[in-house]
Amino acid sequence: MKPVRFDYAAAPDAATACSLLTQSVAAKPIAGGQSLGPMLNLRLVRPDALVDISRASDLRGVRDEGNAIVYGAAVTHAEIEDGAVPDATPGWLASVARRIAYRAVRNRGTIGGSLAHADPAADWVNVLTALDASVVLTRSLGTRTVALAEFFTGPFATVLAHDEIVTGVRVPKRGAAARWGYWKFCLKVGDFAKASAAVLIDPERGETRILLGAIEKPPILLSDASAILAGRMPLAAVVTDVAPHLSYDSHALHVAALRRAIALATASGEVAA
Amino acid sequence: MTALTLSVNGVEVTRDVEPRTHLADFVRENLNLTGTHIGCEHGVCGACTMIVDGRPVRSCLSYAVSCAGADVRTLESFDNDPVVGLLRDAFSRHHALQCGYCTPGMLATAFDIVTRLPEADETRIREELSGNLCRCTGYVGIVAAIRDVLARGPHARTVEPVARGVSPRAVSGWTDATKVAAGDAATATFAVPVPERIDGGQTLSRSIPVPVSVERLWATLQDIETIARCLPGASIERINPDGSVEGAFAVAIGPMKARFAGTAQVAYDASSRSGTVRGAGGDGISRSRADGAIRFAAVAAGDDASRLDIDMTYKLSGPLAQFGRPVVVAHVVDRMLGEVAANLARVSEGGVATASAPIGGIGFVLGTVLAMLRQLLIKDGK
Repeated sequence: MKPVRFDYAAAPDAATACSLLTQSVAAKPIAGGQSLGPMLNLRLVRPDALVDISRASDLRGVRDEGNAIVYGAAVTHAEIEDGAVPDATPGWLASVARRIAYRAVRNRGTIGGSLAHADPAADWVNVLTALDASVVLTRSLGTRTVALAEFFTGPFATVLAHDEIVTGVRVPKRGAAARWGYWKFCLKVGDFAKASAAVLIDPERGETRILLGAIEKPPILLSDASAILAGRMPLAAVVTDVAPHLSYDSHALHVAALRRAIALATASGEVAA
Repeated sequence: MTALTLSVNGVEVTRDVEPRTHLADFVRENLNLTGTHIGCEHGVCGACTMIVDGRPVRSCLSYAVSCAGADVRTLESFDNDPVVGLLRDAFSRHHALQCGYCTPGMLATAFDIVTRLPEADETRIREELSGNLCRCTGYVGIVAAIRDVLARGPHARTVEPVARGVSPRAVSGWTDATKVAAGDAATATFAVPVPERIDGGQTLSRSIPVPVSVERLWATLQDIETIARCLPGASIERINPDGSVEGAFAVAIGPMKARFAGTAQVAYDASSRSGTVRGAGGDGISRSRADGAIRFAAVAAGDDASRLDIDMTYKLSGPLAQFGRPVVVAHVVDRMLGEVAANLARVSEGGVATASAPIGGIGFVLGTVLAMLRQLLIKDGK
């Protein structure tokens, strides 16, 4: 199918994009368009206008802030996969990027676009929340930074205002002592995950985080992470407790994801191959 | 129309295009380069994969206007390319195609594999091919052909970092002329027959205590005007003499928005203080459809207390169902159902319903719910 007719403007920078969005309540920002594109083509999304931010100069860079790296929102998955931008972690981001959809999608899809789209099953939504990343949001009125744990408000929903865009993604650096495990279950390579879980153990920063993802609503950071890692809490009960809405099959998959992610993070410390 | 200049197969071309024209349509319709095939048109099948700035992309998910200044290569430009020459030959020898529909996309992806991943083994090749669907070959021949060409490598690869900016001078404001008709079209109504039963539907239930007598709750349930106010996003356009109701409900699932217009039939059973609403609605623009049935009952629970039981069976079909995954929809519907039940209870007590437009994000498939709910409102003629 073809999208409904829409007006289009490519923004040279974030300020212009915000200004264009302010001028039309029915305009939508688009970056790589790999998630919005199918919805547009199927006419499930019918904007009057699109503001293309994929080539905005200030969304394409990467900035090292010392203890964190800020990725421009329009950095593509493929650029992270290829190491064309520095990795804030010991290779974890590149490993995750390589398994997002397909290469042809990764060449256009962006890290900021994925977060703004807020599909509960998307890799960055879950992985970056587990890594305690935050997003830099910009609108004509100013800029704010929001932790991802507070950014998602529902499936496909975020705190973004209509005329506000994600301009950057701040990912805390993780050193060689940190351990990580991410596991997702997909029916087919490149498909959206049916279940996922992530485990971060960072002794340098004193952080232990366990995340349950792909639950059709924003991911959940489990309390009692240390007790779970110590094996003091049955995983099936943990999953039931935080996600009682999951079906029997889905519950089983999430328990498996949790178990696999914990194993990956606590065994040799190697990233999921 | 937007003026677009880009390089296609090494030649600079300038055309006026509609912004909604995707790259595959642009090269096929405007440039007559029909080597690119279009399959699913929503990023699933990979048939339209072509090379942009040296990289494979889904051309159906790349609007032509977003490729201003890009270097686009279609299958037609690979006639004399040595690597694609090897691939073409290997595809023939290994029977890597039968009907040939997926082949242009397969060759674009294969070109990426053999130039980017010289060490790829069969597992990696299959992983990389996962975004290109072939219904004829079972992939065995395709994988063999790619391995064959890899074994003759390494093959040269020239890919520059992508640095296509946008000139600030290129930006103008919005033009009124292109403000379109999405809104107008959305108000059109479509008659959808109400099904007798809903096969494969999901059912959700709610039971909510109401601190009023069962008689009062029952009276509320029969007041269409009041009930209408309890249903977010629902609107009634007409109540027909036969008791059926025409109306619509608006649905928002994140960026996805639909307006289901249709009919509903309501039946009450005074003896059991219960009723049924059956409805069906279509969203013509997205060709999506919602079917729903609500059963509700007012149950006595003491002198001045009662209980409202609602259960709802719903089914979405068409593109919206594809994107509104079942659990997401259930989540939204359940939340909606809770809101409606709470509103009905509040109104029974003499309060005011919390008016709410379809809730973006959470409101997803409220539509579905609304559909049913709205029918709740309706009273049949008997």
